Amino acid sequence: MSERGEMDLTGAKQNTGVWLVKVPKYLSQQWAKASGRGEVGKLRICKKGNLGKPEVSFTLNEELTEIEGMKNKSVSVPRDHPFTMQSVGGQMLTVFTENSSGQSEERSDCSSSGSGAGAGPDKLALEGVVVQRAECRPAASENYMKLKKLQIEESTKPSRLAVQLEKAVTSNYKPVANHEYNREYERRKKEEGKRARVDTQLVLDMLFSAFEKHQYYNIKDLVDITKQPVKHLKETLNDIGIYNLKGKHKNTWELKPEYRHYQGEEKTEDS
Amino acid sequence: MTSLGGSSSSTTEYTVRVPKNTSKRYNIMAFNAGDRVNCSTWTQARMERDMSARRIYGDDESAEGAGGSEFGKKQRDEARRRKYGIITKEFKAEDQPWILKVNGKGGKRFKGLRKGGVTENASYYIFTQCPDGAFEAFPVNGWYNFTPQAKHRTLTAEEAEEEWGRRNKVVNHFSIMLQKRFREQERGGDDEDESEKTGKKKKNIGRGGELHITDLEDDLMMSSDNSDSSMGEDADGKSKAKKNVGKGKKKKRKSNDKEAVEESDDGDYEGLEVDYMSDESSSDEEPEKGKPSKTEEHLKGIDEASESEEESEEEKPNEEEAKEEEEEEEGKKTPVQTEKKKKKDSSGESESSDDSDIEGETASALFMMKKRTPPKRPSGRGSAGSSKTGSRPGTPSIDSATTSNTLRAAASKLEQGKRQNQGPTESPAAKRLKMDPSSQSPAPSGKSTPQPPSGKSTPSSSDVQLTEEAVRRYLIRKPMTTKDLLKKFQTKRTGLSSEQTVNVLAQILKRLNPERKIINDKMHFYLTE
Repeated sequence: MSERGEMDLTGAKQNTGVWLVKVPKYLSQQWAKASGRGEVGKLRICKKGNLGKPEVSFTLNEELTEIEGMKNKSVSVPRDHPFTMQSVGGQMLTVFTENSSGQSEERSDCSSSGSGAGAGPDKLALEGVVVQRAECRPAASENYMKLKKLQIEESTKPSRLAVQLEKAVTSNYKPVANHEYNREYERRKKEEGKRARVDTQLVLDMLFSAFEKHQYYNIKDLVDITKQPVKHLKETLNDIGIYNLKGKHKNTWELKPEYRHYQGEEKTEDS
Repeated sequence: MTSLGGSSSSTTEYTVRVPKNTSKRYNIMAFNAGDRVNCSTWTQARMERDMSARRIYGDDESAEGAGGSEFGKKQRDEARRRKYGIITKEFKAEDQPWILKVNGKGGKRFKGLRKGGVTENASYYIFTQCPDGAFEAFPVNGWYNFTPQAKHRTLTAEEAEEEWGRRNKVVNHFSIMLQKRFREQERGGDDEDESEKTGKKKKNIGRGGELHITDLEDDLMMSSDNSDSSMGEDADGKSKAKKNVGKGKKKKRKSNDKEAVEESDDGDYEGLEVDYMSDESSSDEEPEKGKPSKTEEHLKGIDEASESEEESEEEKPNEEEAKEEEEEEEGKKTPVQTEKKKKKDSSGESESSDDSDIEGETASALFMMKKRTPPKRPSGRGSAGSSKTGSRPGTPSIDSATTSNTLRAAASKLEQGKRQNQGPTESPAAKRLKMDPSSQSPAPSGKSTPQPPSGKSTPSSSDVQLTEEAVRRYLIRKPMTTKDLLKKFQTKRTGLSSEQTVNVLAQILKRLNPERKIINDKMHFYLTE
């Protein structure tokens, strides 16, 4: 088993040659619909004697010429696609593959299909070197022109549209004596009542446990946590803590140095 | 696969398959043509995603809870960001660059950046031929452009700017990186031993990495001295196994730092007389300032030399250095000096940076006579001179604090020297002097004419053209500056190295004791017969 990051260089060693082919979007969409073993068409390579350049053309299978969503078959995907061969140029192009571990080519019959997540390290392999570049072009035909027309029509439609409403929307912002939200708030306030003072010791306990979690606290947050009236809380805080006015954590309270034990140590409660 | 035989053409048909259930994601690894990458030479390769951007994007905070954290900090930050409309792109592992390491630790490294826009309008497929003759097409998931990563040290933008400014003056570009390494080393705060070791190591590494034209690197480098650092570094770097090299280097470097600190003004060195060949700029202050330091250094150097070896003190480079440093250096210089001396002999011209000025050398030669006192001003002239070239401590180009910038200064020094001359006799001094100027190296104000290192080593002034008679003739005919004189005795014709020429000329002038007159603000010598 190769360790993480180790690349499998068998492709490079064998100097496997591959073709890099640029394929139009509509064709790749049709290919994605292929069934069974994935046969999509036939590639014909015609060599004109010894001199001429080979002519390559691809013919799409009949069954794949249907466009999804166009049931009336008025427009279908053209079948003939000659390839335009190009040289690789100066660039050196190689192909490498990433294979999420947990699934590999050989185990295609395996039922588990949790490969997407790539829980383990990916397997990298160098498949080969590009020896030929090609462009797949559709043969100019009526069919293709119609297809293109369709595409253009779709693309010129604006993605956003402004539509005029017949009736004004009245579901929000009606004038109301008191908004629902406000009523909610008042009710809650009454329920909770004023914050009652509890025993100082209890407050201290609460404060210490809070400060165990974070070092700096805003007074508002502390009030929320302890549910104490602000004045009482402040008195208690003045005993055990200090108020930071400057520095990074401004306007925050923190415990006095003698009370704190940060970095993993257990805090001892002093009162 | 069916084959239809044609009369002159043959057509073969292959089935194309697009496998559906593959989990392999195909990507393109593109290399630049100029890099000449050959995959078949790779024995092993490792590739990983470069996740260093995760810190920036994902803001992983390590201060979770307890010490240093605030209550609700995350929420507050998030709210703040939303309020200001700051949208941070999320960190996508798929888009991160690859780091490819070929052939293990010592091999090449490549960085692969993902090319955008590849799969937007058209899809790329990889067609491979299967054993059964059919083609299989796999869609390309991503395209990565791989570029080789430089393993050698490079200059940062600021450093590059600096060096660019000095490009006309610096001749030996190899020393730039060497000094940078030294500087880094020092900043690392090593102690003496370390520096010594590293000095040695650096030297070795330096040799390995840079193009070494000759073993006698010292000759190529700044010859002298002055720049302490450069000299020191050069010497240290190049000289083999000099124990004290490390120390000396460190010291020198220190002085260089000082030097650097002092020389930070650019404008100060404008108008310095750089080279007898380049435009003349009169810089009176420079020479004056430099004078005391230079002379002192020189003299001290000489004395030392006479004690230890004949070698001149090139090492005196560090005029800038503090007295103690100098003293220490002296001690250390000795072993280095021998080597330098050897080198000097062979090549005679130290070049490195800017201008090896014959002028400077003459001046220094003249200064030799003076009794030396520790130079007080660190950056002094030498720096001044060097500052032109980039007052960086390390650069070999800077340096010679000792030599005055202009011949005029040299001439005036000559007078002083004459007055106080009680130094060693001329002949031994001559030899030493010859050594000296070489070490001194070029002058301060950035003269950048590269001097071809002449292979001559005999310091004797015996030569076809540069004789006392010749000089006398010139001076009788009309008043000349030292620059003019030097022009007359060009190195190419006399066969001497520029340093030697300077030395010899200095001696001759001393012997002749010509009259001095100031014409056009320049000091001219003349004789009346």
